[in-house]
Amino acid sequence: MSHYLRNGLNAGIVFGIVTIFLVLIGFTVTASDLIGTFLGNASASGVLGLPAVTFHLLIFLFLLGVWSGASGARKSPTEADSWRRVLSGAGLAGLILGILAGGLAMLIGSLLLAGVRMSTYFAQLLPDAVRLYLLGLSPASAAIFYVIFFFISGLLGGVFAYRVLRGSWRKKFSIWINTKTQWILNGSGIQLFKRTKSIRLIVYALAIGIVLLIPLVIGDYWNYTLGTVGIYVLLGLGLNIVVGLAGLLDLGYVAFFAIGGYTVALLTAPAPHHLLWSFWIAIPIGIILAAVAGVLLGVPVLRLRGDYLAIVTLGFGQIIAIMLRSDALIAFTGGPKGVSAVGGPTFFGRSLGTPEDFVYLILLAVVLVIFVTIRLRSSRVGRAWEAIREDETVARAMGINTWSHKLLAFAIGAAFAGLGGVIFASRNQFTGPEDYNLMVSFNVLASVIVGGMGSIPGVVGGAFTLKGLPEVLRELENYRILAFGALLVVMMLVRPEGLLPTSRRKMEIKELHEDANEAGETSGGKT
Amino acid sequence: METIALETRGLTKRFGGLLAVNAVDLSISEKSIFSVIGPNGAGKTTFYNCVTGFYAPEAGEILFFNKSLVGRSPDQIAEMGIARTYQNIRLFANMTALENILIGQHHLLKTSWFEAILQTPRMRREETGALGEAMRLLRFVGLGGLGDQVARNLPYGAQRRLEVARALALKPRMLLLDEPTAGMNPIETMEMMRFIQRLRDELEITILLIEHDMRVVMGISEYIAVLDYGVKIAEGTPREIQGNTQVIEAYLGRAAASAA
Repeated sequence: MSHYLRNGLNAGIVFGIVTIFLVLIGFTVTASDLIGTFLGNASASGVLGLPAVTFHLLIFLFLLGVWSGASGARKSPTEADSWRRVLSGAGLAGLILGILAGGLAMLIGSLLLAGVRMSTYFAQLLPDAVRLYLLGLSPASAAIFYVIFFFISGLLGGVFAYRVLRGSWRKKFSIWINTKTQWILNGSGIQLFKRTKSIRLIVYALAIGIVLLIPLVIGDYWNYTLGTVGIYVLLGLGLNIVVGLAGLLDLGYVAFFAIGGYTVALLTAPAPHHLLWSFWIAIPIGIILAAVAGVLLGVPVLRLRGDYLAIVTLGFGQIIAIMLRSDALIAFTGGPKGVSAVGGPTFFGRSLGTPEDFVYLILLAVVLVIFVTIRLRSSRVGRAWEAIREDETVARAMGINTWSHKLLAFAIGAAFAGLGGVIFASRNQFTGPEDYNLMVSFNVLASVIVGGMGSIPGVVGGAFTLKGLPEVLRELENYRILAFGALLVVMMLVRPEGLLPTSRRKMEIKELHEDANEAGETSGGKT
Repeated sequence: METIALETRGLTKRFGGLLAVNAVDLSISEKSIFSVIGPNGAGKTTFYNCVTGFYAPEAGEILFFNKSLVGRSPDQIAEMGIARTYQNIRLFANMTALENILIGQHHLLKTSWFEAILQTPRMRREETGALGEAMRLLRFVGLGGLGDQVARNLPYGAQRRLEVARALALKPRMLLLDEPTAGMNPIETMEMMRFIQRLRDELEITILLIEHDMRVVMGISEYIAVLDYGVKIAEGTPREIQGNTQVIEAYLGRAAASAA
């Protein structure tokens, strides 16, 4: 069997199964709604005399069909590309997809007519969803329609793959993009920006000014979301030092977050201790306690490597969570009920408790933590961390005391989490064991990995993706988490190094430039 | 009287029932080029790992300029002036060539994490100095201009030389090379031999060498020790080793030895 036919068969089966799955979970309805929102519902009504929802569903299915065709027409490593072969693969993919989709229409259509309540088995497969899938036709004609429909869209997918994805169009497109970017980069505005320091400063100042104004206009809901993202940035930056730089897989990171949160809660809340200390005093205490906890955890476990370290830290995170929930410490931590009325920051008697105030506070903390991270990373300490991540054995042979550097990474990472915890608990004015479950550790770790290990912009981007994207995806309602998970998987497949991976510092070139500059200047003084 | 750089007395390392290194006595003079040879599995790399502190020997003594190394950690031993390279190159693959060399200088720099955050003038001076030194070493091993390349992307020969540069960054008194010419063609091997001699002549470093290529061993060593099954079976100058029947036997078998 030719490579193209085999490819087409595979693609057809895979896409057929995916389509069946999507229909069974009722995603067709959501997809139709989504495309409706996207296109504007009014515009489509009356096209081909179809109801808008049907039209939108067909767009969605058409895209699936094109995709399956393109996938069936993948290039063969051994056989030469030709129209005949490409279309045979694409057509076969479309045909098989059509047969599977048509068969499904036949099946659920007949079941519907027979009066079977399919929603008992598939909660989302309501009669309306089935009717939508049947396009208002009888089961048999819907089945025939789907076979033809997917066959044609599959063929179009093949044409698309052959002409656009690997034909001359792609080359033309990339040349066009290149010349455009060159033109923009070499444009006088950008050149001026690069050369003149004062203009650079003005542009940066304007950018920062605009960023600072954003919280004033977006309202409490988005400020709250932005604050949550910011706290995850803090956590991510801390874990980035431990995992991204020093390469120590810590799954119990949430413990340090909890220590920060509970520190501020117990020090400022009226119950259970009635200390009523100031929020500002709680910050350094929370940071220090978290760092100390980092060291205490570090001392016994840092001899372990890789998976073993991950398991032990996972246990540590669980121990903290269970301790907070347990009745044994109820007098000290408030037990499962948590601590309410946690104090917030005040500034000369004025309370700074709105989500907006907290966004600024969090922004300040993030800037501070980024500053510390940059300074550490570009120093001897940061290099030692990276050396440990790359090859711990060799790092020791190069005279690095791996033990103390790993402890330092743990302590600093924990301190950042402690800071995040203090702000988090104070902003919510409440803290309880449920705030510190294992998912926090996983989310933070995911944001570090999604963003790009070791990279500061990566952590920020990762936190926005992990905490911001679900908010944006609210539109999808029930499928939010499904879509989110799928997006994460796709993202890691497409960019395994992360969204914004680190770039190595260019030191030699910079040094040479500086040498040249200094040689050119008569004074030789530094700026 | 010449100074002894490294001395082992009755050095023994056991893995379960296997005596990997068995009561080995060696004495290596300062600024010499000393080779340890032997068939595969003779215990040469185990010997290196004992000297550099990665294995704790069961018995025996290791003295480096009359200071005992037994019980010290690898990083302490590195700080005392023993640097090494690896048989299968082990660079920090995702870091640049310059960063690799800067890591070699780690123990010579004193900046604490606190100073690093504040970026004190002392820290800046130290970093500038370290970077200058790293550039100098890069040029010394002939990799000038490749400093910003990520180590993993360097060609094989350059990686070998970068590994030596990283070891030199420790300012060692003694350098342990583990098959430095493995996988090299004859021309590269010649270059590496000259380079090793230069290290000794110009930097006055004692060189301890594990090598399989007999042309290299006989060409540059001043003294050779032969290990077989963890036991030192011979030692002497290259000429003495070449005529030693026990050595020929270990490498080629008894029949070959009697034929010679």
